[in-house]
Amino acid sequence: MREKIISFMIVLNIITCFAVFSFAQDLLIKNGTILTITQGKIPKGDILIMGGVIRRIADNIEPPPGVKVIDAIGKFVMPGIIDSHTHIALAGVNESGETISSEVKMMDVLNAEDPAIFTALTGGVTMVHTMHGSGNPIGGENVVLKMKWGKPSEEMIVHEALRTLKFALGENPKQANIFSLGEPRYPQTRMGVNAIIRREFLKAKDYLEQWERYDEAKRSKNPPKNLLPPRKDLKLEPLVDMLRGKMVARCHSYRADETLEFIELSKEFGFKIAAFEHASEAFKIADKLVEEKIGISIFLDNWAYKVEASEGIAYNAAYCAKKGVLVSINSDSNERIRRLFNDAAKAMKYGDLSEEEALKLITINPAIQLGVEKIAGSLEVGKHGDIAIFSEHPLSAYTCCEITIIEGEVYFDRAQYLKQREEEKKKEEVKKGLN
Amino acid sequence: MKKKAKVKRVIVLFFFSLFLLLSFSEARVLPVYAVVNCKIFPVSGPPIEKGVIVIRNGLIESIGEEGKIVIPEDAEIIEGEGCFAYPGLIDAHGSFFLETKKEEEPSSERERLPALSPQEKFKPHPEFQVFKSLKPKKSVLESLHRIGFTTVLVVPEEEIFAGQSVLLNLNGEEAQAMVVKNPFALHINFVTNRNTYPTSLMGTMAFLRQSFLDTEHYALHSAFFSRHSKGLRRPEYDPFLESLIPFVAEKKPVVFNCANLEDIKRALILIDEFKLNGYIAGANEAWRVVGHLERAKVPLFISLDYKPPLNSIYATQGEELREKAEKEIYPENPAILSKKGLRFALCSHTLKKSEDILKNVQKAIERGLPREEALKAMTIIPARFLGVDNLLGSLEQGKIANIIFTSGEIFKEGTRVKRVFVDGLSFEVKEPPKAEAPALFNISGRWLAKITSPMGDMEMTLEIEQEGNSILGKILSEFGQWEITDGLITGKELSFTISAMIMGETVELTFKGEAEMDSLVGTFSFMGITAAMRATRIPGENFKRGGIR
Repeated sequence: MREKIISFMIVLNIITCFAVFSFAQDLLIKNGTILTITQGKIPKGDILIMGGVIRRIADNIEPPPGVKVIDAIGKFVMPGIIDSHTHIALAGVNESGETISSEVKMMDVLNAEDPAIFTALTGGVTMVHTMHGSGNPIGGENVVLKMKWGKPSEEMIVHEALRTLKFALGENPKQANIFSLGEPRYPQTRMGVNAIIRREFLKAKDYLEQWERYDEAKRSKNPPKNLLPPRKDLKLEPLVDMLRGKMVARCHSYRADETLEFIELSKEFGFKIAAFEHASEAFKIADKLVEEKIGISIFLDNWAYKVEASEGIAYNAAYCAKKGVLVSINSDSNERIRRLFNDAAKAMKYGDLSEEEALKLITINPAIQLGVEKIAGSLEVGKHGDIAIFSEHPLSAYTCCEITIIEGEVYFDRAQYLKQREEEKKKEEVKKGLN
Repeated sequence: MKKKAKVKRVIVLFFFSLFLLLSFSEARVLPVYAVVNCKIFPVSGPPIEKGVIVIRNGLIESIGEEGKIVIPEDAEIIEGEGCFAYPGLIDAHGSFFLETKKEEEPSSERERLPALSPQEKFKPHPEFQVFKSLKPKKSVLESLHRIGFTTVLVVPEEEIFAGQSVLLNLNGEEAQAMVVKNPFALHINFVTNRNTYPTSLMGTMAFLRQSFLDTEHYALHSAFFSRHSKGLRRPEYDPFLESLIPFVAEKKPVVFNCANLEDIKRALILIDEFKLNGYIAGANEAWRVVGHLERAKVPLFISLDYKPPLNSIYATQGEELREKAEKEIYPENPAILSKKGLRFALCSHTLKKSEDILKNVQKAIERGLPREEALKAMTIIPARFLGVDNLLGSLEQGKIANIIFTSGEIFKEGTRVKRVFVDGLSFEVKEPPKAEAPALFNISGRWLAKITSPMGDMEMTLEIEQEGNSILGKILSEFGQWEITDGLITGKELSFTISAMIMGETVELTFKGEAEMDSLVGTFSFMGITAAMRATRIPGENFKRGGIR
């Protein structure tokens, strides 16, 4: 059941917000403290966004005619936060009818009316990687979305992102915590999970060879008259794309041993792993992850909620980041998604990351993991105008996201939103008084 | 003595059944009618102020202004003064005459999801023809006539591949005689939670794609094989794919049932990907994806159900918005589509109550849909979409005589359908039943009934289950066990029908009477013969719900 997070009044407010900003793709943000992430901190500067893209970052930019100006004096301006692992804005998370469900695509089941999108905006999140669940060893194809609340679902999709396929190891795919009434399904062990993934890749290799033979025959000078193409298998297509390097793995795994086994599997078949999810034992194998150039997408201080998560530590993120692992912090939740900046701040307490290093965990690092570092993750000329404006430094415990902007459009404005809510409340009271 | 009475009863019943059969065959001789003096709206042309319609052999023999049409001598003349004649309305997406299964709620979340055993494997059935499970009922037929429907598409409702629909003329209760086109289309639902694969919406999408791909491959293989069978392995026979070939490879209509705006987009994607002869049905959120629909140019079977979809922002953000949406926003759907120049048919879709269907057409008109557009959306447009515009959808010479006569302009408040012709058969339309008064007693339980008739006395047991005004149950007699149908209790008034198998014929007996706390008194009637019934409650044997089936 989806909770009723926001009331009818709020929806009306949001609708009116759209009416105000709907055509604004040009925007000038003035006088803010700019945290560029990749090019240092600018104590006071302006950012000009034209046609949704950052055109200039400088002092005293004159607003071109007709361009809306936001005065950010005393405020902190940072790139929109990116959540590398969520399950929001979807109609369904797991296809649990079969153990291998690589044929499903999250892109097919977007739900642009999930209130979690709005929740994300209130925490400065502009982009998410929304994924298949971890119920199956091979889940489905994930999708990267921008949090364009109020826009049609297809306009939220970030086509520049890497194509990723969800894998899962350990307790969830082996159904350790599911007490089903029916017959248990295969696999029931970690070795089984590894074996079934391997089996699917062997099938995919076979399938790829079939197609190659067909293509070759078709290209030959005298192709046989009866040349029948092989049956197209949607379960194997994504795996073939992985073998061909057109798609990367995102693998849910907690324990170091199974993580290493999966790395071996990727070497055997030659596919690329973009990141391990949760990876609460990543600190044990940090060197290996660096060597293999595999990132991790983790919780900052959340562990021991099940046996395979029992070895987690709060220093995981900072330790791995310092070692050189590409670390991102994710929410995996409709609620935690609005305070990822708080989680980033914890990496300063647990492991002494610098401000910039901590902020990278929720901006440029997830952007690299998703293959969108050319358009998002930092404030640089040429990147999309995806920006969050905070009342205090985003890593302060007293901060609050005030404005969230995607491609130069304001999608969340706290002051305006609170004002409208106040007005609605008054109207409501007047109505009650009349009754 | 008793045995003699029984024999007598059976003989009397036999003659009645015989008479029943005779009266049936009599009805098959189609009379010739000439309706005179009415205002005609042919839809295909301008209205005729004072017109004549001659109906012969189920077809419109001639139609036109009075004086210009020769009224045949053998015609029965029907005076149509003050009446308006329209083509019979077509419901291009409904599911009448189907028995609805009562779904049992899964008792827990666990039961609903995994726990899959191989035995439970999914059995898709695109080959299922809904024609085979039609149960035409007089009461439903009458309620449809009351709206002005003379043709309905009956659509199978369940599963991803729901099966194939049938187009019926509402000319009686004999399924075979009703068929205009069978099958019309394959119907697809975007199912979101099933017990077996696919259990999710994304799985459903993948399953549909794979099924279409496999069909294409199977059709290609079969075509190759029929051309050059030498040196090629025969395709392995697959009844599932075989049944999809007409729709995927041969491009017969495929109708996607779309519960919300995302479903519409999903359907359009599949239609485009597989170059299907695709239709969109339901779609009460079509107004939110007008741009998509303008580009796609697919036929639309738009639902008259204005309830916002479950997960829509209009349904999840509080009761106030949901109510406003149902009353003001969603009823504007047809008007918006019409303004954008999109062609659509209006359909009952998920609406079951006849009052709601008519009321919601009126609402659409109130919210800006021109009356003549509403009429087209229920006559000539669905006829075109269904590929029967040469037969139906307008009043023209040579077309099927599906005509409705109304007391005033159609869809206006207070306008009543007075008579309908379906396939040239005349049906007088009765006033709708009055609003039901609440039942004064709950008569659930077991009753001992005594029947007194000219043929002697008889005892039987009634097992009655009452829910609100409606009565279900069965009768146990020495002749066997009969179901109680169409049971109704309003105030003290009780009525029900039983369909009894007597001498190999199904006969309908109707009961009308009064209920008290501990007694039921009334009469059974069958073909003019009446028999008194008096029943007393069998004490202490109150019936629990669900105990009957």
